[in-house]
Order: sequence, then structure tokens, then C-alpha cells
Amino acid sequence: MATRYMLVKIICDRKLTNEQFHELLKNATIRYFGELGTSRIDPRIMKFDTASSTAIISCNRDAASELQSALALVSDYAETPVSMLVLRVSGTVKGTTKQRK
Amino acid sequence: MGEYLDLHVIPPPEDTKVCERMAELLRAAHYSTVGVTLTTGLLNERVRSIRRIFEERGVSTVLRADFNPSSRTELLRILRRFRNAYDVIAVRCTNQKAATVACRDRRVDIVFFDIADRNLRFSHTFARLLHGAVEFNFVSDMVRNSWAFSKIRKAILIAKEHHSDVVLSSGAKDQWMVRSPLQVRALAITLGLGEVASMRGVSSVPLAIVTDNRLRRSSDYVEEGVKIVVHEGR
Repeated sequence: MATRYMLVKIICDRKLTNEQFHELLKNATIRYFGELGTSRIDPRIMKFDTASSTAIISCNRDAASELQSALALVSDYAETPVSMLVLRVSGTVKGTTKQRK
Repeated sequence: MGEYLDLHVIPPPEDTKVCERMAELLRAAHYSTVGVTLTTGLLNERVRSIRRIFEERGVSTVLRADFNPSSRTELLRILRRFRNAYDVIAVRCTNQKAATVACRDRRVDIVFFDIADRNLRFSHTFARLLHGAVEFNFVSDMVRNSWAFSKIRKAILIAKEHHSDVVLSSGAKDQWMVRSPLQVRALAITLGLGEVASMRGVSSVPLAIVTDNRLRRSSDYVEEGVKIVVHEGR
């Protein structure tokens, strides 16, 4: 199945751990698209960097818009304001880290 | 990659730190131009300093004003007074008669509807009259408002059916509401706007509004389709 990779910047006053980010991602997709939608999106964390608060997430190519929408609608985690910016979408992990021309 | 614009950013004029953080995030999100929405009563010096905050961080700005007229007469008076003072004129439609005039008037660039308003929403009538563009403020309307999904979806499908120009904005009031153009576009695709129209909504449609208004406000502009190319004596 074709995959899309996204570079995501997490904006939060405190540093999130990989587990917390995973929970946030799962809750966001389930909230807006349900269990069935989440299985279709199939979001996975490929890389997570706590220091720079960035992550690379993979998902099913046909459901990339749904995942980006779910990330756009995240507003808080445990009563702390959080926002997520999808900075780049690519067909390869390497493509997400390339500099924008 | 194209040029991305968010024509509805509402920085708090009294909080410089929030303005700075918003500007940094908008830059990181690859926006080239933002429409800074400020109240009409703000001092020119304050307006300049807010715009400078964004421009120092590499985001160019256009000045936008949102009007909320309660009647047709009030809207016409506002347009006469403010059209030339702002780069983008937007009207929040809360009154049927004012909304009809706002959709039809060439001086109005953008119309948008309050999602919480039960009496007035973007309908087929307004879509047929629309001369400018209709705007959807995804982030400010949809975050924490799950019920807004169906309303926005209905409005989007009407705009799609009538091939109306659609502007997709965040409506961000602080740094927590800033989203990347990819996400704003994805929200529109998810709600049924279509990939091409969604892409145009964050790039070419707002860019055309800004370019047209810059030309209109320049000293070389005479009227629609007519501009001074060479001045006498040059």
C-alpha cells in the first residue's frame, strides 16, 4: 500500500514524549474519523525528536488529507494548549527533511 | 511550490509577544503573505509596528478590515469611507439585506458567514450573487466546535456547485491557532471542496485579490482595465 510521510512540528509549552504524542495522534484521528477511519488512515510515528519537537509520521497515501485535517484540529493535550503544523508531505522519509527551495 | 497566503490573521494589538510568535510560526508554515486584520480605530503607528513584526520575520502583510454592517445603508457608508484605506475589505454577514449587497458589490473582496448564526448562512442565493470570494475560517470555526463540520460542509458544497471563488483561511487569533497551508487545504478536501479548488483557496484566489487591490490602490490605476504605463516627460 502506498504511503505518505509528513514532517510535523509540535507547538507546546512543555516537551511531549513519544508516548504522549502517540496518544495525541491516536485520539485526534479517532475523534474526527472514528475507529474505522483511523484504520484506513493507518498513522504511524516513524521518528520523534523531543529536543526539536518534530516528528515524521507515515500514513496511507489515500488518507493523507484526513490525517492532516485531524492534526489541524488538535488544540490541547491534558489541558495544555497544543498545535501541530504539517510542514512537509512526501513519498519518502528523506523527502520530508529536504530544504524547501 | 507555490505562494501561500492566509488572509485572515487577527493578531492581538496589545500583545507584542503573541504577534511575534504568530509571525514566526506563519513563516515556519511557509506562508509568504498574511492579511493582518485590525480594528479601524487603531492608531497608524500601532498598525505599522504590528506589520513590522511580521515583515521582519519574512512574512509580508496586507491590511485587512472586517466589517459587520447591520444594514445595507451602513455597509454602503463603510465602503465609501474605508475602501481605499485597506488592501482587503471583508464583510461578516449577519444581516440578510447587508449580505445581499456585500455579495453583489464589487468593492467587497471577501464575504464570510458566522458559523454560529442560525438565521443566516451561505446559500444558493448568495452564491449566485457573489462577485468577490467567500471565505471559510477553518481553524477558528472548527477547533472545539465539532457541530460546525456539517454547517461548513454544506456551505462548501454550495460554493463548489456554483464554482464560487473560495478563500481558505485560519482566522488565527493567537499562536495556537496557526496552521500550515497544507492543513487548511486538507480540511477543505476532507469537507468535499476538491483538490484543485482547495489549492486555489490558499494560493491563487487570495493572491489575485491582493494583486488586484494593490494595482487598484497604485497611482497608475485609472479604472478597471486601464492603467498609466508611461508618465508624460519620462
